[in-house]
Amino acid sequence: MIARAAGALAVAALVALPPLLPKYHLEVLISVLFWAYLGIAWNLLGGYAGQFSFGHAAFFGIGAYTSTLLLLQVGLTPWVGMVLGGALAAAFGLFEGYLSFRYGLKGPYFSLVTLAFAEMLRVVGVNTKAVGSSLGLVVPSTRAAPEMFMFSGKLPYYYIILAMGALALALTWKIGRSRLGFSLAAVRENEDAAETAGVDALATKLRAMALSSFLTALGGTFYAQYFAYIDPTISFGPGVSIGALLPAIVGGAGTVLGPVLGSFVLTPLSELTRYVLRGRAGADIMLYGAILVLVISFLPQGIVGLVRERRARAGRR
Amino acid sequence: MTGGLLLQAVVSGLLLGGVYGLVASGLSLIFGVLRIINFAHGAVMMLAMYTTYWLFALAGVDPYLSVILTAPLFFALGVVIQKVVIEPNRSAAEHNQLLLTLGLALFFENLALVLWQGDFRTVRVAYSNASFMIGEALVEVPRLVASGGAVLMAVGLFAFLRLTDVGKALRALAEEPEGAALVGINVARIRAAAFGLGSACVAVAGALITPFFYVAPDVAESFNIMAFVVVVLGGMGNFMGALAGGFIVGLAESLGAAFLPGSLKQLVVFMIFVLVLLFRPQGLFGGSRDR
Amino acid sequence: MSEHTRGLSGGPVSRRTFLSTAGLTTAGAAATVAGFPAIVRAQTREVKVGYLLPVTGPLAYEAGLALNGLALAVDEINASGGIKSLGGAKITMMPGDTQNKVELGNSEASRLIDQGAVAIIGPFSSLVAFSVRQVTEKNKTPFLLLAAVADNLTEGGLKYIFRMQPNGRGMATLTVNNMFEMAKNANVPIKRVAMMHEDGNFGTTMGNHVEAFSKTMGYELVQRIPYNLRSPDLTSELSKVKAARPDLLIVSGYYGDSKLIAETAAKLRIGVSALVGLANAAYSNPKFIAENRELTEHLFDGNYWYNPQSARARAVFAAYQKKFGSTMANHGVQGYQVTFVLKDALERAASTDRDKIRDAIAKTNLSDQILTQDAIRFDDSGEGINATPALIQVQNGKPVVVGPARFAEAKPVFPVPKWKG
Repeated sequence: MIARAAGALAVAALVALPPLLPKYHLEVLISVLFWAYLGIAWNLLGGYAGQFSFGHAAFFGIGAYTSTLLLLQVGLTPWVGMVLGGALAAAFGLFEGYLSFRYGLKGPYFSLVTLAFAEMLRVVGVNTKAVGSSLGLVVPSTRAAPEMFMFSGKLPYYYIILAMGALALALTWKIGRSRLGFSLAAVRENEDAAETAGVDALATKLRAMALSSFLTALGGTFYAQYFAYIDPTISFGPGVSIGALLPAIVGGAGTVLGPVLGSFVLTPLSELTRYVLRGRAGADIMLYGAILVLVISFLPQGIVGLVRERRARAGRR
Repeated sequence: MTGGLLLQAVVSGLLLGGVYGLVASGLSLIFGVLRIINFAHGAVMMLAMYTTYWLFALAGVDPYLSVILTAPLFFALGVVIQKVVIEPNRSAAEHNQLLLTLGLALFFENLALVLWQGDFRTVRVAYSNASFMIGEALVEVPRLVASGGAVLMAVGLFAFLRLTDVGKALRALAEEPEGAALVGINVARIRAAAFGLGSACVAVAGALITPFFYVAPDVAESFNIMAFVVVVLGGMGNFMGALAGGFIVGLAESLGAAFLPGSLKQLVVFMIFVLVLLFRPQGLFGGSRDR
Repeated sequence: MSEHTRGLSGGPVSRRTFLSTAGLTTAGAAATVAGFPAIVRAQTREVKVGYLLPVTGPLAYEAGLALNGLALAVDEINASGGIKSLGGAKITMMPGDTQNKVELGNSEASRLIDQGAVAIIGPFSSLVAFSVRQVTEKNKTPFLLLAAVADNLTEGGLKYIFRMQPNGRGMATLTVNNMFEMAKNANVPIKRVAMMHEDGNFGTTMGNHVEAFSKTMGYELVQRIPYNLRSPDLTSELSKVKAARPDLLIVSGYYGDSKLIAETAAKLRIGVSALVGLANAAYSNPKFIAENRELTEHLFDGNYWYNPQSARARAVFAAYQKKFGSTMANHGVQGYQVTFVLKDALERAASTDRDKIRDAIAKTNLSDQILTQDAIRFDDSGEGINATPALIQVQNGKPVVVGPARFAEAKPVFPVPKWKG
């Protein structure tokens, strides 16, 4: 009851408050939602399917590059470009996933292969003139054209990423309660047992891969339109891959709200450490690293795990 | 003309490969026993490089000699990391341990930045620039020493694992985690020893690299990803394999640099990496069996 | 580096700023922020300027140099009575750390503007600048670029962006020009040029210009080799260069990689008339030179520099040496000068209104400056009209200006015997 009221209040605040916020705080909030969104997308594969990807930047970059190249070269609106980018990323994800799962890569081996694919795309991007090489791609950003995913203020971007996050959350929730959700849980807990029980493990994991990579690519388009610049290192580098998995793990992998809670803790935390310790180069990230170690040590199941534990304890009493 | 280039590419590839093997052997050991990808490995090497640098700058200790001090010191650091940070989370999900090492890497790298700023530092010893030519190919002496060190270290580790009780326990743990506990091995202690030994190895690597490379907080980024590639190629947990893997990666990179346009040399390495992961995840030379 | 950083961020003002912002992170305190600009207006005796630098991350060292320059200029301005047309208002530098990340460029710029920065100086890498410039443009805040070389940064009809120093094209073509003029005087023709550059935005920009400029100048680019700046070994790449028998090897890179290239080239006896840096982070860097005396002797570099013929520049040089115990170089010069461009504009604007400051910057005509160029002026797009890099050569362990001729403090040694091999 209380939880539901708190949730409703949080949603109301997320919808109503932003127009009142100063620029910086709006930026931080967009950033929170952006990483939460990527976390939600990662969570489908990394959390629900239990396949720990360390290279989601591959999908992110494909999304960002597809929509931006289409925009710059044929003038296609990113609203359409992002869907095409998502489709392309999903195809790449299926390719990558099929190879990996077909050959039975698990755990650290799967993590490394995803990292390698992302790095390969980065190297190709750096060396390909047709996609701008290291000069990157500049997205026109000075005019306002909503139909072209361009806005003069920050607020529209906020509501777009809020809506994207809400839809991705709804999808996650729906999947969790569907047949696919049960298959995913079965495969994650024990693949062999799942196979014996008639679950097609390969197909299940591939579905998670396709959904996860599709959603991640949409995030790439959002990034390109919002920050107005992409290059191979930003788009395919490990920064995005880590940024996508951290909120999910810290919040609670394989839970609906985990990535959101994770991002609401991590993003402001990194802003705050940077602010408190500015002028002393490195001290903030040092502290961030230490806090990360502590959080993972003391909240092995993430924030959601902590809440559940508390509730379970309260229930017993 | 192309012959000279080929010779040079092979020579520098082998020298570079030795360095990769050197960095990767400790990583391979840690993976073999603990089953975690240690993202903090490079950061530990960076700390060892700073230790080497300061021993040289403040006390005039030769980098090669400083190994006598840094190896035990970093063994201790490794044991502490394992006991304080990793071991308590042993029962948590595999990926949690990976993130712990990632957090540690961030911590160490930025600790160095706080303590010593972003300056590039170099250890200038008499032999830093020593080099000779084989035909038209340049051989840099400190790189040769590092490669030789890699071979010595692999042989030393091999002997250690075969001949000592701790070594045998490490192998037992790497091969049969449950079985090892059953036969009365104190597994927590052996795991700490593994992390300690892996860190000592990378400290030696750091000391051997310092005479020909710079020292900076993010210096490990030059070796990090390649070290993972090398470990996989050699077979995780197989450091003899890691040495061989190092040579393969070094050669691939060097030949790629000589004969491919742009900076595509890294692509060759990653392609080998993916192919090995897919078709021979136990590594080219055998390693841990499970995937 | 630590000392001045504390000097810039410490003090009562920034502590107050911090408290109000920390309060804001809790949702209820939004009122504090609304009140903030009002406070700024009341305190006309302070002008807030924000800097955005990659203080943390791969460019931390270079950022430190620029920060020194900024600090030196701010201290000088404040000690000599602040901005006179604003009643002696003192300049307060507010720190922003981009960590060389695009996302942080965006949010840090917004924060600085929220906190009342009337202008923003920074942010080094072009990629971060691309995202900062849309924040400054949308918020009508003057944005003075430091170091970023991407030519198209000022394109697109932007109003608030200014680049005092040469862009990529200016840096590359003018440096090559300087080299050719020198070669002509020495009667040593340059026909074959090789280029090595790091494969990021900076190096690629330079490489493209050197390649395109070959037609104009009539040289052949016999090798162009991009490399990852993290490469632990570049021997194969340099063997390729050697095999192409160039007259000149041009290198655009950061510190560690440029060092590796010079060392390896020396060992390979690369056989060129000169090794030339292009906006190189090492080849004219006093620290690099001091630590590698033999290797660096007679290296060339085209870079941002102070004018050794100017008495003021020499005084600034001495003050820098005294304050930081190190030699002023490229980014220190830029940091210092860009602050004075802003100071000059503030004096003329006699206002802290961002639009008035912007208009004043656009009308800049500053001849009392320390760069190797004529008066600082901007064209309509915000590029420095007279921006010129200096050609520097290391001689007797010191970086000295050898070109363009009217600024030169020494004659160039060319061709360089040891590189010629």
